[in-house]
Amino acid sequence: MSHHTHTWPRLETRVHRIACHFCDSHHLVDLIEEGQAAHCRQCGQVLYRNRKSSLAKAGAFGITAFCLLLTALLFPFISMDVFGNKSSISVPGAITSLWTSGGTFIAVSMAVFVVILPFTMISCLLYLCIPLLIGRTLPFASPIMCGFQMLQPWVMVEVFFLGAMISLLKLVKLAEIDLGIGFWSIAGLMFCLAGAVGGIDKVELWDRIELAKSRRRPA
Amino acid sequence: MSRVRESALQAGLVGCHTCLKVSAASQHQCDRCGSHLHARKKRSIEHTIAFGIAGILAFIPANLLPIMVVTQLGVEENSTIIGGVATFWSMHAYPVAIIIFIASVMIPGLKFIAIAILVAAAKGYLKIDPQQANRIYWLTELVGRWSMVDVFVVAILVGLIQMGNLMTIRPGGAAVAFGLMVILTMLSAHSFDPRLIWDRLRIPKQP
Repeated sequence: MSHHTHTWPRLETRVHRIACHFCDSHHLVDLIEEGQAAHCRQCGQVLYRNRKSSLAKAGAFGITAFCLLLTALLFPFISMDVFGNKSSISVPGAITSLWTSGGTFIAVSMAVFVVILPFTMISCLLYLCIPLLIGRTLPFASPIMCGFQMLQPWVMVEVFFLGAMISLLKLVKLAEIDLGIGFWSIAGLMFCLAGAVGGIDKVELWDRIELAKSRRRPA
Repeated sequence: MSRVRESALQAGLVGCHTCLKVSAASQHQCDRCGSHLHARKKRSIEHTIAFGIAGILAFIPANLLPIMVVTQLGVEENSTIIGGVATFWSMHAYPVAIIIFIASVMIPGLKFIAIAILVAAAKGYLKIDPQQANRIYWLTELVGRWSMVDVFVVAILVGLIQMGNLMTIRPGGAAVAFGLMVILTMLSAHSFDPRLIWDRLRIPKQP
C-alpha cells in the first residue's frame, strides 16, 4: 500500500476518465506506466503524461528557482562602461529607473511578468509539492493549485532573457559590457522554471491533491 | 467522413476546464477544484473577437509610434520597431534583425490571421481540417508571449542607459501599445475554445 504515495495514476482505480481538452472526446484511460503519455484517440493531443519522479523533480527545480530568483533580485544584472562612465543595473534597479523616467507601464509589466508572478507561481508550486512528497496537503491546496495554473501563461522569464540577449547585441557596439550574477541567475531561473512546471502534469498534481485530501479525512 | 468519437458533452458529461475531472453535466461546480463547470468556454467566440479587435487597434500605434526616444548629446532620435530591424540589418546582424522582425511584426500579424481562421472555422464559415485547427490553436497559444520581448528590450535599455547629458533613453508610446497588444492577443487566444470546431463534425443527437 505504501506504493500509492509514489506511484501515479492511482493503482486501485486503474481506469482514468478524461475528456480531451482540445476536442472533448471522452475516454477511459487504463493505467499508464512512468514515462508514458496518454493520447486522445480522436485528435492525437496528449491527455496527460506520467512523468518519472515528477514530485521530486518539480520540488527540486522549484526550490532552485526560488533561490535563483532571490539572487537575481540582489545582484547586478548588467554593468557597462562607456568612456569611463560606469553604470550597472539590477532587475529591481531597472524597474525603479523605468518608473522614474516615465515608463510606468513598462515598469509595472516588468515587475509583474518577471518578478511578482514567477515568485508567486514558484511559491504555489512548492506549497503543493513539498507536502505531497509525504502524501499530505496543506490548507487551501485547491485554490492555490487553480492560481498556479492561471499564472503559468503570464510568467515571462524566458521572454525577458531573450530581451536581455537582444539588448546586449544593441549595446556591444556602444560600450564595454559585464554580465553580473543577476544575469546568470535569470538564465538559470529560466531553465529551472521550465523544469519545475514541465516536470509534473497538472492532471497528476490534481489527482495527488485529491488523494491526499481524501486520506486526511477519517475513513 | 469517418465518424468522430462521442464527446463528453454528448455523453452527458462535462470535463472541468481547470482540473480536467469529468463530472455529470447536471453538476454546476467541480467536486475536486471547486471551479464553475461549463461544457464549453462561456461566450468563447464573442470574447475572442472582442480581445482580437482590441489587439489589432493596439497593433497600429505599436508600429507607428516610436518605441524608444534616444537623446544623445542633446539630439533626440525616435526609433520605431521597423527602424530597429533595419538598423540591425544594415549592421549585418542578420539573425538579430530576423528574430526581432519575427517576434514583433510577423508573430502578431500571423496571430491575428490565426485567430480569424479559428473563429471562422468555429462559426462554420470556413471548412478546415480540425487536426490543422488544433495545431493552429496550439501554436497561437505558444508563441503569443514571445512578442513581449520588445517591451523587455526597451525596459533593459532604459534602465541601463541613463548617463545624463551623454545619452539617455526614454520609452516611447509604442512600448505601451505593444505591451497592451500582446496582453490582449493572449487573452483573445485564451478565450477561444477549440472544442467548438470539433463539435461541428459531430452528428447532432436526435431527440
